[in-house]
Amino acid sequence: MARTFRLYEKKRGNRRTGSKKLGSIGEALFFAVFLIVGCAASALMLSRLVIPEFRANRQFVESTCTVLAKDIAEVRASDGVHYRPDVTIRYQAGRDTQDATTYDITRTSFTDRQQAQAVLDRYDLGQPYACWYDPMNPDRAVLERGYSGWLYMLLLIPISFVAIGTGGLIYTLSHWGTSTERRATLTQKAAQVDLFEMAAADSNDFPHVPRDANLRNSPGTTLAYRLPIALAPGWRLFAAFAACLSWNAIVGLFAVMAVRSHVEGNPNWMLTVFVVPFVLVGLWLVYHLVREILATTGVGPTRVEISHHPLRPGQQYDVLIAQSGHLSMNSLEIVLACDERATYRQGTDTRTESCRIYEDRVFLRESFEILPGVPFSDQCRIRVPEAAMHSFKSDHNEINWKLVVRGHVTGWPDYERVFPVVVYPLGNGNPGA
Amino acid sequence: MIPPAVRITFDGDHRMFHPGDTLAGEYRVEGMQPDEAKAIELSVLWYTEGKGEEDLAVHFFERREPAGGNYVDLAQPCRFSTRLPNSPLSYAGRILKICWCVRVRVFVARGKEIFAEEHFRLGEVPTPEIVLP
Repeated sequence: MARTFRLYEKKRGNRRTGSKKLGSIGEALFFAVFLIVGCAASALMLSRLVIPEFRANRQFVESTCTVLAKDIAEVRASDGVHYRPDVTIRYQAGRDTQDATTYDITRTSFTDRQQAQAVLDRYDLGQPYACWYDPMNPDRAVLERGYSGWLYMLLLIPISFVAIGTGGLIYTLSHWGTSTERRATLTQKAAQVDLFEMAAADSNDFPHVPRDANLRNSPGTTLAYRLPIALAPGWRLFAAFAACLSWNAIVGLFAVMAVRSHVEGNPNWMLTVFVVPFVLVGLWLVYHLVREILATTGVGPTRVEISHHPLRPGQQYDVLIAQSGHLSMNSLEIVLACDERATYRQGTDTRTESCRIYEDRVFLRESFEILPGVPFSDQCRIRVPEAAMHSFKSDHNEINWKLVVRGHVTGWPDYERVFPVVVYPLGNGNPGA
Repeated sequence: MIPPAVRITFDGDHRMFHPGDTLAGEYRVEGMQPDEAKAIELSVLWYTEGKGEEDLAVHFFERREPAGGNYVDLAQPCRFSTRLPNSPLSYAGRILKICWCVRVRVFVARGKEIFAEEHFRLGEVPTPEIVLP
């Protein structure tokens, strides 16, 4: 039964999206404001800086002037009083004699009076100096020419506003009234244009199933492929170290202030109560860091090999596990797992939620020793369930299959290492077939 | 007066397809004058539902508009046919669903549009059972 167009947009979890038309109008207004502000600021800078300086340097006519008077004018600005050097000169513009009070074309002023005075000190009353006058407006002249240099860097700000506004408006207007499906089609075509043909052909066989080239580029010593680890222990340790250091460095400052207030007999209870939960989080981060250090340095590398890749529902595969180190193991297990992973925005935050939908322990060995230089090695067999959903990846949603190695070591923190695998759908799309 | 509507039907009234199958059917626009439609878009697509932001990809897209010389006689049903891809298969998980559908949009005057979609399943992946240690 066909349904008519919904008043509200599609419901996503517990959220509804707003009206697309209102969104497009808001988007267009947003970029229009950027464009207007950028154009206004650009026009202002062009008329007040760029064009006058260009004309003074390229079009003004050179003449000779006599200094009649000089003074410092006080100019009130938003950040206080500025001081502007004013030099009154008399000069010949063609057949006419003109008087003007000037210095340079932008009427430069200084926050420091001494700087303005230093400019004036370069000119003596009654002495002749070179000057340049505007042939289109002969009563306008300057004593100094040149360009403002770094001020031109400020032009980048309005220009970037214009670029963002223009690009955004073009994008918004070109998509105005365009259906979601048409936009998606255009986006997909654009994405295919810049891909290498081989890659595109390969990925098109199973759209939105992750490619497994990275999982098959390392041959195993016993089985066909050595699987890469999802996140190397070194990176986990670095992340834990960075989080612990940055958090405790900031919290430490407040903690010291709180402790000092107590030592000096003037306790700041507000600060003390405020800082306590942050200190507790900092202590937990230290504990986590120590665990990571022990797990990384004490437990040797874990190697996992697999007999075939990619995996298919209903099929069986051999898996080899090799664990190095000097460990007294309570247990070592391998789990075949599948997680759904969803990314969504909540306000300005991007959140990710994961949900385990399948977990099967395929290997367990208990109470054994691993000696230095003699890695523990064993094989097991895994079977992907017949009804398994294939691996999937889109912009905000994923289905990830993985082999998870969990080690429980006597007197040592437990560790877990993840080795992603890719499950492809069966050719006819019937996992049970 | 009957409000305009779009009716989509699949050949054989099938709702279940396998990768590589041909999805064929027709749609019909009812309750509208022949020259009222400015454009008609037909899409075979999948989209996600659930916790995450919606993702969408179009497998087959066809737009007809009078200006393109591809005018549709609204009085006649319009046929469509496409070979379905290997993936992604339809799926109803815990926080993620993948839904396949045929969607038709008819664009009429003043930016209004009539919309209809018919769902179908690609593949036979059942709802996952949660197996936790």
